[in-house]
Amino acid sequence: MALAVVAFLTLLSVLPAVAQDAAKEPAYRAFPLIGSRLAVWAVAQLHLNFAAFILGVPIFAVIIEIIGWRTGDARYDWLSHEFVKLTFAAFSTTALLGALLLFLFVGYYPKFWTYMTSIFFPTYWVYALLFFAETFTVYVWYYGWDWLSGPRKGIHVGLGVLSNLFGTAILLVANSWVTFMISPAGIDESGALKGSVWAAINNFTWMPINIHRLIANIVFGGTIAAAYAAFRFLGAKTDEERARYDWMGYIGNFVALSAFIVLPFAGYYLGREIYAFNQTMGITMMGGFMSWLWIIQAILIGVLFMGSNYYLWLGMERIPGSERYRRYVPIMIGILAFGFMVWATPRSMVITLDEARAMGGTHHPVLGFLGVMSAKNTAVNMMILTTFLSFVLYRRANRISTKSWVGAGMIVQWVALGLAAVVVVFYGVYGYFVESMVRIGFSVYQVLAVLGAIGVVMAIDIPMFKGARSTGTIRWGTIAPRSQYVLILLAVTFTWLMGLMGFARSGIRQHWHVYGVMRDSSVDAVTPAIGYAANMITIVTIAFFALVMFIFWLGGLGEKGMAGGSGHHAPAPVFAGGSDADPTPAPSRESTGGRSPQRS
Amino acid sequence: MRVPVAVKVGAFALFVMGTYTYYANSIPQIQSKPPAELSLEGGNVTPAQLVKAGEETFKTKGTCEICHRIGQKGTRAPDLAGIGSRAGKVKAGQSAKAYIIESLLQPGAHLVEGYPNIMPQVDKPPIALNRSEVWALTAFLESLGGTVDVKLDDIPKTVGAGAAGGGATAELKLPGDAKAGEAIFTGKGGCIACHKAGKIGASPVGPDLSQIAKIQTPDYLMRKILDPAGAGTVAGFPKGVMPPMFGQTLTAKDYMDLVAFLMTLK
Ligand code: HEC
Ligand code: HEC
Ligand code: HEM
Repeated sequence: MALAVVAFLTLLSVLPAVAQDAAKEPAYRAFPLIGSRLAVWAVAQLHLNFAAFILGVPIFAVIIEIIGWRTGDARYDWLSHEFVKLTFAAFSTTALLGALLLFLFVGYYPKFWTYMTSIFFPTYWVYALLFFAETFTVYVWYYGWDWLSGPRKGIHVGLGVLSNLFGTAILLVANSWVTFMISPAGIDESGALKGSVWAAINNFTWMPINIHRLIANIVFGGTIAAAYAAFRFLGAKTDEERARYDWMGYIGNFVALSAFIVLPFAGYYLGREIYAFNQTMGITMMGGFMSWLWIIQAILIGVLFMGSNYYLWLGMERIPGSERYRRYVPIMIGILAFGFMVWATPRSMVITLDEARAMGGTHHPVLGFLGVMSAKNTAVNMMILTTFLSFVLYRRANRISTKSWVGAGMIVQWVALGLAAVVVVFYGVYGYFVESMVRIGFSVYQVLAVLGAIGVVMAIDIPMFKGARSTGTIRWGTIAPRSQYVLILLAVTFTWLMGLMGFARSGIRQHWHVYGVMRDSSVDAVTPAIGYAANMITIVTIAFFALVMFIFWLGGLGEKGMAGGSGHHAPAPVFAGGSDADPTPAPSRESTGGRSPQRS
Repeated sequence: MRVPVAVKVGAFALFVMGTYTYYANSIPQIQSKPPAELSLEGGNVTPAQLVKAGEETFKTKGTCEICHRIGQKGTRAPDLAGIGSRAGKVKAGQSAKAYIIESLLQPGAHLVEGYPNIMPQVDKPPIALNRSEVWALTAFLESLGGTVDVKLDDIPKTVGAGAAGGGATAELKLPGDAKAGEAIFTGKGGCIACHKAGKIGASPVGPDLSQIAKIQTPDYLMRKILDPAGAGTVAGFPKGVMPPMFGQTLTAKDYMDLVAFLMTLK
């Protein structure tokens, strides 16, 4: 990895020279065999996948480490360490892919790269330094695990937080380049930077993509971690191993699910900003040649919702006492299936600009577009509520509250959920009878209702089930193996979705490198159709998983080599304890305030 | 024999991705082709091909027909029939070729009698033709009554090279709110009394503004609203009819919103 960093820095320092020579250079060179576009596409997407992984997983690892620290539950600390190990293994691959991507740009798209450099050169340095800082911090975080344990655990957690801050900062810098290509800002008519580079960084889509990506990366990290656990579960030899990886998969999925629920909102925000930047682009995206893409996106998202719920339901079977809740399952399936259908219903198929104008009854397709999204908003909010209900039922599956006010509490909870559902549906339907301007405001009420209900239900649930009577412990490891395939399905689907959205993000620019400023005049200027893109995405996704498997396998080899040494042993999963279903901090078990008590 | 887990999981993952891929290939396939941008540099083109390409540009990307017609007076601009021969006699010592190129690149350098200076530079946004296109267009105009003798080298190298990639239509981001601007157009500003803009309005008193953003810069629109006479009176329309007091009656915000709205008309 150090090598990669050095290569990267060297490359950076030669860039200005490259830029000077650019006048003599051709605008494009052709990559042998597959062409430059495919080469850049594949490497960029792979790099992004890995970057998302090393960004998302540590966020999630530090959260888990904090839980372990505060609760003294050694399992969490072990798990966190395990995940940082996975990140660590993926670090150098990410850097190498990044360097490769840079080579491809400099070599095959010299004119484009010179232009980007003319605007963003100062940020390259920031990027390199941040990358360096992150590598270093993660290094210390990982290798300092034992050293900074016990009373020094706070410092260790601080390191974890710090590396995540660096990681997020890297994301922000890289996003400024990508978003500038979509929605350039801060430049004059000839494309030259007008004032400071900040205006170019802080362009229209920067913040929305920062938010959308950050959340998506957490989900991604969670699903990959869960898939890893599933893989280990399926290959496990002992019950103890099965129990451990069952639990790990559950936690990974829990984190993924929590972040996943907010993604749709972030997505709408992003969509809206794209429209606000340029309506033509917005229309290309939702109603133009990309309109079919959103059908596939909807299907993938439907699979993700269905899959997560199914996993929770299967998980209930390992919890004695959950039989009480089985009868809700068909209703939830019904709501999900219906929501899914609405969500996947095409609204604006390929339309011309004029049709798009006519659609909203005004000259403002933004409003028209968001208007027809009213039904989808409703559907997605209902799916979120249902998924949340699944989770609540799962949480209480083996617990019976001993509080005297439990009856009242339950009623309030159901009323809160019911009210939220009514609000969501009401505004969804009412939305059809009002002007589009008013309608946009409605989606805010819908979101507030859903978030409000989640808040109320959890606020009651946590005290209500504190010290609850257990109907039996969770039998970790006894979950049906098909549930593990669901976890793998989620990871594969999500990764594929990332590839698809990567295509959306780049394809939306059509024949522009930098939208409206720098035209793609290469032989690849045509933006391919969805089938072609899908083939490409599948190939990249396969390559990604193959690489990940390989890296994990290497990691596993190292582990075996150290067997019996001073490696981090997994603490035996705790089989007892009524609060096992609860991934939120349970009040302290034998608190040690640090590393695994099992260690000598 | 037991199937190894890796194989089972791998097959499952491939199946999942295969399903998505199959589905994506089974729905309608739409490519997005870049709008044909002419590049004739380096290639061998016959004058006939050049003229044909120029005519195409005239009708499509050039948007010339929104103002000009050939064989009749255009909505906003002179008839271009016979320009190929007329062009040589406009200024003493200037060839037809030179005059035509000048008309395209510096439309204000010489104004046709009775017409205001409203023609945009064709190599700048919003029209933003590239060098090849200007070359072909010149050939086409020459062919209208004259001889085609223009060479690529007659077109300055700087043409269309403004933006890094050439052929730019830099999307200017105006601070105004187009939606509010539409309300000003139909309400407070009263523009609708004289102008048509797409689906709204029908009045023939002033020029149809339905495609105004295709042919005009925000600059021009701003000037025109504040100082209609100073910006030049569009040919074929009465002078002094467009009210001159919008600078007083509209607030700064109204004004920006209005311009933002006009810029959506394309
Ligand atoms: C906004 C309306 C507008 C557009 C669009 C426009 N023109 Fe013009 N054009 C004018 C006006 C008005 C004049 C007369 C005043 C002047 O000479 O500038 C003119 C003059 C000319 C002349 C000189 C005519 C003469 O008789 O001397 C030529 C040649 C010409 N235009 C070609 C074009 C071409 C080619 C295009 C398309 C790329 C085009 N114009 C687009 C408004 C326009
Ligand atoms: C009383 C009638 C009237 C009203 C009201 C009016 N205009 Fe005009 N406008 C005209 C006429 C006539 C012309 C053409 C003559 C000229 O250029 O002055 C014109 C020309 C224009 C042009 C130039 C069109 C071109 O093709 O180059 C623009 C832009 C324009 N008006 C915008 C507006 C806006 C915006 C408003 C409202 C704030 C408005 N006008 C209100 C009568 C009107
Ligand atoms: C349930 C809702 C959604 C989910 C699960 C989701 C998921 C994702 C994922 C995983 C990515 C890839 C992020 C990355 O590469 O790091 C992404 C990117 C993107 N999404 Fe969404 N999204 C959702 C809603 C939306 C909506 C509603 C829109 C717009 C109308 C949208 C527009 C985009 C765009 C343009 C990108 C590309 C930006 C980038 O490169 O990061 N998304 N989305």
